[in-house]
Amino acid sequence: MTRTLQAQDVAFAYTPPLDVFTHVTAAVRSGEVTGLVGPNGSGKSTLLRVLAGLLRPREGKVLIDGRSSGHMSNRQRARILGFLPQLVNPVFSLSVFEVVCLGRYPHLGALGATQPHDRAVAERCLRDTETLDLRDRDFMALSGGERQRVLLASVLAQEPDLLLLDEPTSALDIHHQIEIFALLKRLAGEGYGIGVVTHDLNLAARFCNQLFLLSHRSTGLVAAGKPENVLTEALLSEAYDAPIRVCRHPLTGAPLITAEEPAEVTP
Amino acid sequence: MTKATRAAAVAGLIALCVALVAASLLIGTENLSLGRIYAEWRSGEPLSKTPALSILINQRLPRTLVALIVGCGLTLAGCSFQALLRNPLATPYTLGIDSFGAFGAYAATIYGGTGGWLTFQFLGFSHVQALAFAFAAFDVLLIYAMASRKTRMAPSVLLLAGVTLGLLASSGILFLRYLAKPEQLINMDRWLMGGVDVIGYEPVVTLFLGVTPCAIILLAQAAKFDQLGFGEEMAAGRGVNVNRLQLTTFLVCSFMTGIIVSKVGPIGFVGLIVPHAVRTVTGSRHRILMPASLVAGGAFLCLCDILARKLMTGETPIGIITSLIGAPFFLYLLTRRRFTDWET
Repeated sequence: MTRTLQAQDVAFAYTPPLDVFTHVTAAVRSGEVTGLVGPNGSGKSTLLRVLAGLLRPREGKVLIDGRSSGHMSNRQRARILGFLPQLVNPVFSLSVFEVVCLGRYPHLGALGATQPHDRAVAERCLRDTETLDLRDRDFMALSGGERQRVLLASVLAQEPDLLLLDEPTSALDIHHQIEIFALLKRLAGEGYGIGVVTHDLNLAARFCNQLFLLSHRSTGLVAAGKPENVLTEALLSEAYDAPIRVCRHPLTGAPLITAEEPAEVTP
Repeated sequence: MTKATRAAAVAGLIALCVALVAASLLIGTENLSLGRIYAEWRSGEPLSKTPALSILINQRLPRTLVALIVGCGLTLAGCSFQALLRNPLATPYTLGIDSFGAFGAYAATIYGGTGGWLTFQFLGFSHVQALAFAFAAFDVLLIYAMASRKTRMAPSVLLLAGVTLGLLASSGILFLRYLAKPEQLINMDRWLMGGVDVIGYEPVVTLFLGVTPCAIILLAQAAKFDQLGFGEEMAAGRGVNVNRLQLTTFLVCSFMTGIIVSKVGPIGFVGLIVPHAVRTVTGSRHRILMPASLVAGGAFLCLCDILARKLMTGETPIGIITSLIGAPFFLYLLTRRRFTDWET
């Protein structure tokens, strides 16, 4: 089902009146990978949580297909939106299959018993993330890349239309980073809408259809749009308050971003 | 572990529980044989003329039932706190509930009793029990206040807060002991060691009515506890109302452990070791873990009570036995590799 998740002119403050951002309008749409980028402390993870309905904006609205998401029940929302926080570590030892079955929660009855249908969905999500061979392994014993794919499978098991992911590749090596983003791109191609927070501007440049660049300097959006329009030296330098250089990736042609060393301070 | 072995393990657990209940009914200062009980029952004589049947009905049965209910309740509370605080060490005992209850009981013993200003009866609770309940429940609510919105303490910090509250109550207890008269100290100290050596059915009924609804409510949270295993945000993203789950669990556990502590005194380590031991058999899905822990907790306390009766001539306080078994067993569990994954 085609969905649009939209934050409309939102402002958020953990400790009012100190706003993390104000006047932010951003959207995550089915069929697209949307990236939230910006320097540390710019509020991109906070914006993701506002979009996910986990934090209530101080001002503005969050809409799912034009309907206010605040009026939905948590379970209703969880059937539309899947949210994956950064670095989740379980306290209890569970098998990979059990972890994925946990994703069925918003579809289960009061007692939380999984039916054959739920297990079939979990099985399919394992296949979709190419983790079916890990099915009976102990989740704790997996590598970082494997864990992230299994967690993605568990979020997919919610059967959401939209996925919101907070730095899904921050703990992964360069190969597994590409692997996860390629998977996200494939899922977008299958119709999912994906919102992803990332620090890696080069991955964002290569895999995202839409970018929202936030900065604490402007307590909000610096730019929004296609990667090649957002990832420019002028806009990035403004957002990061540091000289940023952009060239072309020799293989993919995407923008290739690097920061310059800070000018030496002469005493 | 495969599904079949898991099912077999659960079945074995239930069989063990039944066996222990039977043993608890028959073993004691005077061992009863089934044949003797049957003969006395067939004789149709009144209880006063059938000593074995009388011991069974007036002493062993209520005592066994109390051990079962208390074991179930403490284990379930331990299980719930471990899930809620995402910490393997969280139990009523480590959160200071027992110490607070004991402080209440001590205060009541000093200022109540014959002629004291603090003497009353309320719904079958003596002033000692009522104050023990009040303080135990107060401890949990204090921790909940720290957990909830405003300060938003991290689970590991909450556990530290609970341990500190327990230490505070222990100092309070020492202070009360200092104030107490020597003859009061004996009663106080006996209370501190816990005991299920009840006579008659009044405590059974109170405990049953108090613990059963709490246990049902906690069991109904099993699927939500599973979700919390991956953190509050992940659970919230899946549609769990985390604040409501916290409130429910804290309220229900404070009421339940308050009632238990008030009736049988502090009994440590049950809520700690039983869920962990069961977890190694059933895995960590709370839908299986919690009912299995409930059964195992009841069985474990029955076993401890049998030991309390048979270890020495006369009674050994059951609180001492659970700690003597529980602490070394927990140390053993800590050395197992599976357990080292539990760093939060």
